[in-house]
Amino acid sequence: MADDRPTPEQELRRLYDDAETRMAKAAERVVGRESFGEVLAMLTENAVALTRIGYDAMDLVWSNLRIASKQDLLRLGRRLGRTEDKLELVLQEVERLRASTEARAAQDGDGAQPRSRRRAPQRSSST
Amino acid sequence: MTALERLARTPIAALEFTNIVLTERDAPIGTTPKDPIWTHRTTTLWRYRSSERRHAVPIVLVFALINRPDIFDLRPGNSFVQFLLEEGFDVFLLDWGVPDDSDAELGLEHYVCDEIPWALREVLRASGGQEVSLLGWCIGGTLCLLHCALEPDSPARNLVALTTPIDTTGSLYTTWVARDSFDVDRVAEVYGAVPGRQVDWANKLMKPVTNYWTTYRRLWQQVLDGEARPDAYQAMARWVADNPPFPGRAYRDWITWMYKENALVRGTLRLRGRRAHLGAVEQNLLVVTAGADHIAPRAGTLPLLDAVASADVTHLDRPGGHIGLMAGSKARKEIWPDIAEWLTERSDP
Repeated sequence: MADDRPTPEQELRRLYDDAETRMAKAAERVVGRESFGEVLAMLTENAVALTRIGYDAMDLVWSNLRIASKQDLLRLGRRLGRTEDKLELVLQEVERLRASTEARAAQDGDGAQPRSRRRAPQRSSST
Repeated sequence: MTALERLARTPIAALEFTNIVLTERDAPIGTTPKDPIWTHRTTTLWRYRSSERRHAVPIVLVFALINRPDIFDLRPGNSFVQFLLEEGFDVFLLDWGVPDDSDAELGLEHYVCDEIPWALREVLRASGGQEVSLLGWCIGGTLCLLHCALEPDSPARNLVALTTPIDTTGSLYTTWVARDSFDVDRVAEVYGAVPGRQVDWANKLMKPVTNYWTTYRRLWQQVLDGEARPDAYQAMARWVADNPPFPGRAYRDWITWMYKENALVRGTLRLRGRRAHLGAVEQNLLVVTAGADHIAPRAGTLPLLDAVASADVTHLDRPGGHIGLMAGSKARKEIWPDIAEWLTERSDP
């Protein structure tokens, strides 16, 4: 039946979709090759080298201007991070001790009520 | 629509297309109300508000390090979190935050040996329970598996691994980064935190035409046909473009152990001196794979089914891609109910 035949526009769209699908598959074959991996590794190496040159140059400028450089800020950030780690460990230890003290007090039957607003952990994790 | 009508509509379609693309960063994502329960460094543990908690075992969602976890709660009407809340679960989200160069020294061990156990401790405290269900997606699934493999006393009763890379043999990533000429140590050292944009660029390069051309061409076609759904497109586009940096040491660990050495499946991966052996995983395990997943191909996840010691192992395989499987328009009907049913059967005392 004549009505079932695709219009020129539909035909054009179908041809385009086919071409795009073929193009996509071809591109995926290209990026999947070992040689593409080698090119990508070299591109990455170049980008990393350029980044390092940029960072070093900027750090030189900042340090000559007697302004805190990126390295200085990073050092500070790392120290803050480590301090936060230690605080977290101290907090966990305090909570563990409080839980065991409260458990002992309850065992001794002195009627002491838990003072903690936070509930004791049900199960501690190894850290 | 005739060709003439289409031609007449082209200018307004161009305006609409441009508007959708330019305003995608304003799209609301991750809007379900939640409260912070615990924070440490860049990590935040969130608990979603709910008045319908019916199951005793809470769910902890863990996403990858290379994208934000908003994909779990993409947009109203298409939110996995919302779905779980409606099913009566107590839902927590472990959000890795946005690391910067000062977090460069954080390796995978930081996430597996510190953040996950510490967060689970807080989940138990907040929920008052004794066990949890861990649900990890992509790298998040691998981190959860490593946690279960290393912690025999883990409170995780159930483990759901969504499109999780396990065996990387023959994967495209392996072709790219396992070669000696890809110096991952230098990349990690120079960048400190590897820019998220670069990781995203590499991910998109796996399907260059689809990601850089077809996505926009399809949107244009939909706009021209009057069938575009800006909210759906913009939410996904905003999430895709939001790429936090990958802490240098974690990046180096991931590339070296997973792609250069394939250490997880070989059983040689060690964190803080302890061997992460998949055979030590005993949790009830649900493995979900996607037939068209090019990031964590199905074949690379299946070895997990035989590697673990779990007595209760279920595998769901569905059509779809790495992200589309869980966040696509069909997810609400095709995969979320199955996951919720599996969890429901294993979430009561």
